[in-house]
Amino acid sequence: MGMEGDFLQLLKERGYELSAPSFGGDGQGLGGIEITKGTTILAMKYRDGVLVAGDRRATAGNMVMYDRTDKVLELDRHSVMAIAGVPATAYEMVRVLEHSFKYYRRTQLQELSFEGKLRAVSKLLKDNVGAALAGTGAVVPIFAGYDFEQGTAKIYFYDILGAEFEGVEYAVSGSGSPTIRGILHYLNTWTDRPLNALPEEDAIIQALRLLTSAAEFDSATGGVNRDLNLYPVVKLITIDGIQTTAAPRLQSLFEAKVARHV
Amino acid sequence: MFEEPYRWVEAVGNRRHYLDEQFQQGSPVVGLSYQDGLLLLTVSRGTPKLYEIYDRIALGGMGHPADLEKLRFNLLEMAHVEGFNRSPSDVTGSRLVKYGLAPVIKQAFEEVYKAPFIVKILLAELGTKAERDGFVTIHYDGTFEETRGCAAIAATPAIQAGMMAALRKVNGRLSLAEAVTAALNAWGTGSLAQLHVESDQEDRKDSTPSPSVSSPDAQAIEAHLRESLAEKTIECAVLERNAPGSSKYRALKPEELNGLLPASLHPS
Repeated sequence: MGMEGDFLQLLKERGYELSAPSFGGDGQGLGGIEITKGTTILAMKYRDGVLVAGDRRATAGNMVMYDRTDKVLELDRHSVMAIAGVPATAYEMVRVLEHSFKYYRRTQLQELSFEGKLRAVSKLLKDNVGAALAGTGAVVPIFAGYDFEQGTAKIYFYDILGAEFEGVEYAVSGSGSPTIRGILHYLNTWTDRPLNALPEEDAIIQALRLLTSAAEFDSATGGVNRDLNLYPVVKLITIDGIQTTAAPRLQSLFEAKVARHV
Repeated sequence: MFEEPYRWVEAVGNRRHYLDEQFQQGSPVVGLSYQDGLLLLTVSRGTPKLYEIYDRIALGGMGHPADLEKLRFNLLEMAHVEGFNRSPSDVTGSRLVKYGLAPVIKQAFEEVYKAPFIVKILLAELGTKAERDGFVTIHYDGTFEETRGCAAIAATPAIQAGMMAALRKVNGRLSLAEAVTAALNAWGTGSLAQLHVESDQEDRKDSTPSPSVSSPDAQAIEAHLRESLAEKTIECAVLERNAPGSSKYRALKPEELNGLLPASLHPS
């Protein structure tokens, strides 16, 4: 019986496997089936913590599978994982992580440290390398949360092999990310206020603008669909926990500050 | 020596006697419904006795800490694997007890060559609606009982019944402070009765007839509570229906608890 509170280990003892690698290559599964993928996600620091946002589109090749995907998933009251890549694997990872953090807290009678949570994400990505390389299960997430030991909200991004990098001010992932990475660099370096000085509202506006830019140049990114009242998911992480920005607020900010009125 | 059936019955009887003695010094645990969910309360010295098991399930126990810890891990494993493989709403207190805990405790109790678990357990489960809130209490021999509204574990079934009677006197939608007061009162009723049982047994050696365990009066309970709180601390946890996120369990911090205590019990 494992007393060390490792939920993934417990699952493995019971015969669980995160993902079995299959053969295909180049983003295609067996028999050339197009794999469903999710796209642009971003995280950036702002004055009170970290903002994490993602568009809502999931695609398979040229097909739009779904336009209401939630790619910014809460792992516990103070951490989120934003996902780009294959949603099937990513959702499964989120489920494992959610249960792992709870299981650790309940068995060990203390919260898993921020470092411990980061390692847990890394470990899952490492277990998934086979599927990632075969093209059927690549996930490139961003992890963001509040680190109580250091008293600050932090952003980390990963490569598909599980190496973790601290994205000091911002991080992006997904097919639309090259477009907005440059914009973020520009905003953070040459505008009058760096990202981490932005008040909440300005940070949300920038996130909406960035995702709209990504959608402009990347067909797999959903952006905003005003006809369907469909807005990106924007979550704010502060010492008080995670707060999801309500659609009406996103709508009014979008109308006032993002949409161009010609 | 246990080949003959009556020897086995005798051995199990001895075992009951042995176990009954083990709980006399233990601290009772109280479970009570209140307007925002369920509350568990006990008074302990150092080692915690109340635990979070799953999103909507909490545990209170009395007995040997090592046994309690072992069974707590069994429950945690079962709940989390089940919650992961099926869904969190399939993890219910009644299934955890019927298929997880009770058979293990019963088997250990009846295998007279091995040591039994020295535990009594109270599980509280918060339903999605208040009507579905409930408690399960498990005895050291693996028998269990499901109740609604309130529950208690203590050294003997008679004392538990006394505590339940005290809890049933408070009706309606209690505020958290009212529930803490009622639960403390029931704890005091049980703890004081346990003291009496102990002293009765000592008296019995002098062959005096044992007085029945009458329900103690309010003053005696208050005095006993004040005495107990001088050297022990109140442990209180709640399952709150409207807590944010999926985990509804929260252990009350000492400052918050002090604010909820009746004036007569405020720490000076």
